[in-house]
Amino acid sequence: MQPDFAELNRFLLDCPPFDQLSQEQRQWAAGQIKAAYLNEHNVDELFRAHSPALYIVRSGGFDLLTPDGALIERLESHDLFGFPSLLTGRGVVNKLEVIEDGIVYILSADVFDQLRQHSRAFEHYFIRAHEQRLLSQQGQRAAPANAYGDSLQRLVSEVVTRTPIGLASTATIQEAAQCMRDEKISSVLVVDDERLVGILTDRDLRNRVVAQGLDYGIHVNAVMTQAPATIRGQQTLLDALTLMTQENIHHLPVLDEQDRPMGMLTNTDLMRQQKSEPVMLISALNKAQSRQALVDEAQHIPDYMHSFALRMNDAAAVGRLLASLTDTMTRKLIDFYEREHGVAPAAYVWLAFGSQGREDQTLSSDQDNGLLLANDLNEQQLAWFAGLGDYVCEGLADCGVPKCPGNIMASNPDCRRTRAGWLERFTSWTESPTPKALMYCQIFFDSRNVQGNKRLYQAYREDVARLGQSEFFLGNLARLQANVQVPLGLFNRFRGTESGKDSDLVDIKRHGLALINDIVRLYSLHAGLTEPRTLARLHLLEASKLLNRKDNQALAEAWQFLTQLRLQHQLAVWGTEQPKNALDPDDLSTLSRRQLKSAFRILKDCQQGVSLKFGRTG
Amino acid sequence: MSIWLGLRRYWQRHRQLNQSWRAHRYIALDLETSGLDPKTDQVLAMGWVTIRPPVIDHRSAHYFVTQVNPELKQSPVVHGMVQRDFEAAEAPQMALAQLARELQGAVLICHHVQFDWQFLQRFAKQYQVKLQPLAKFDTLTFEAQRLHQQQHHIARGSLTLKACRQRFHLPDYAAHHAFSDAVACGELFLAQAYQYAGSDDAPLKELLK
Repeated sequence: MQPDFAELNRFLLDCPPFDQLSQEQRQWAAGQIKAAYLNEHNVDELFRAHSPALYIVRSGGFDLLTPDGALIERLESHDLFGFPSLLTGRGVVNKLEVIEDGIVYILSADVFDQLRQHSRAFEHYFIRAHEQRLLSQQGQRAAPANAYGDSLQRLVSEVVTRTPIGLASTATIQEAAQCMRDEKISSVLVVDDERLVGILTDRDLRNRVVAQGLDYGIHVNAVMTQAPATIRGQQTLLDALTLMTQENIHHLPVLDEQDRPMGMLTNTDLMRQQKSEPVMLISALNKAQSRQALVDEAQHIPDYMHSFALRMNDAAAVGRLLASLTDTMTRKLIDFYEREHGVAPAAYVWLAFGSQGREDQTLSSDQDNGLLLANDLNEQQLAWFAGLGDYVCEGLADCGVPKCPGNIMASNPDCRRTRAGWLERFTSWTESPTPKALMYCQIFFDSRNVQGNKRLYQAYREDVARLGQSEFFLGNLARLQANVQVPLGLFNRFRGTESGKDSDLVDIKRHGLALINDIVRLYSLHAGLTEPRTLARLHLLEASKLLNRKDNQALAEAWQFLTQLRLQHQLAVWGTEQPKNALDPDDLSTLSRRQLKSAFRILKDCQQGVSLKFGRTG
Repeated sequence: MSIWLGLRRYWQRHRQLNQSWRAHRYIALDLETSGLDPKTDQVLAMGWVTIRPPVIDHRSAHYFVTQVNPELKQSPVVHGMVQRDFEAAEAPQMALAQLARELQGAVLICHHVQFDWQFLQRFAKQYQVKLQPLAKFDTLTFEAQRLHQQQHHIARGSLTLKACRQRFHLPDYAAHHAFSDAVACGELFLAQAYQYAGSDDAPLKELLK
């Protein structure tokens, strides 16, 4: 009679991809395994006698070396090796050196092949591991989307069902109004040759036609909003909500994969998703009639976000949503200030920098903002904006967005500048960069217009992009990021990034996410991009000659993985005193640990790439 | 048995004991018993596995429940066996015969081999089976000697299977079960043997001293 191998089963369950096998498959595999006590006296002989085979480290430590003795990886408990030869049929060339004696399980080629044939998940895991693409396996999702997920994870195309109602840009305003009356709609798409060229809303008719006393016979293209923000049918309602909140719009044209109009999504469509916290939160914030009411509503954000994040399977969406909540609160505070002190005396832009700018905010992110002002303001006007900066930054702090310790806030006179003033500031950073200035100035390159004059912002942003292309400056940034240690030590083991009692912890923000942001920012500065979001930057960089496709994709996957991991960690330490961004790799599941190593390895490679490409100049 | 046969057996054994320990076959075994006294208590289950250094082959793993109606004393507490487990019991004769075949020419390994061997012998006799291992190796005695030679004070509890394994940095096993304890004991033996005689091809008899 065969024993039940309970101990080995338990181990295999914690050793992906064996956890993906069925109970019977795992049981069968356990009974086929050979366990070897590996030490310096038998390692060569054993390796020769059993390869090709899959080896699973149960205990001890071993170094995997190339034929010429270069270290590939230090192997520890739960690590797998030997599978590349099994998959490719090529001979085994790597060598193994024993660091500490231990037990290694051997799974013969026959058994490996049987398991591959009977389990797709098992086979896929090894193919991905062999291609070093473990990160594409996001196995650690918090909750299944469809069963318990938020209704905002539904696709836009599921909600927009009626055929799109469109007019040609040469239709008259009166025809447009009649069409909207007949169809009972509050906005209409303006479409020429199946291409969306604009959008016309009830409000446009009121503000731009009636109030201005325009002739109803002129063409709609004179009064429509040209090149409006759009969304694709394959994006989620949450994406739509975020976009509408950030752009401060209520109508969002929907396009299909070929850029043809599919229909219109309105905020009423979103409000129907009643049970969704983000919708309730945003509408509650928008309804607040006073600063106090806004602050009161904002106190619910952490709890709402907590339960929302638990149900989300896209961690990046949580960062985007938090950024749009901060945007909403900022606009409300500006509105309250204007009610007390009169409307803005000149053109301006409220700028969001850093994580709000990149839309990867967390609940512990602090404020990074500033004001871009029109030229030649008098004392009184300057005082108005100084008051605005104080009012909004204080207000945000009361709403739970902590003040910036580095004082990058619109309440600081240094962060309220004209276009020329900001350019002067950027120029001083790019031409005579001290390390500290360099560190700070990176925050300023990730900017977004939260409220204010679009043209002013665009002009400013393009100037800044030009300055950012300076090779001397990029060289300095490259050297700065090369100093950030990737937390992989010798032998590819995790290395703690903290000091004192936390020395085992790894800060996945400073030594992970922030580093990816820095690397991607360098490439996008070089390319002159004005986009602040890291994933969107990578998307725009797909055509780049400097960053190859493979690295581009690897960086995106590493970013997504680390964002997900950070969110999970933050949910786990919710309400405790534990560090929000630093975690102990030993507390992770085996798969997460392997993925984290893989992410850091990508970072290390890309960091070297950046040094080679940019570090030599300047 | 004739004198000649006895002499030949003695000579064969002598020759085998002089061969390298690594060339031998070992059986790591553990018993579950209803108590501590071989005269009055029963063997409830046995698990064993074959070792050819440095490999423990799971395909040679065996586990037999040997009593249908055991007198359960403290054993359920120790091994977590319950009445249900015994319903799958197989004829002890068959299990013992298989063990006897595998022990032929092999070295029996247990943690506290004297204990298991006394139970085994009485149990085998009951079913007219003769167990004749080439030799017996005790991981507990070996460890006691090793600590003694290193002038360690041997503290209470420092010779349990678990404690011995920890000194060799072998993994902690949660389960207590005749089979997993047999594997645990086999792994401990490999660690001990390689540390003691890994570098040279020491004869088996060196290991058994």
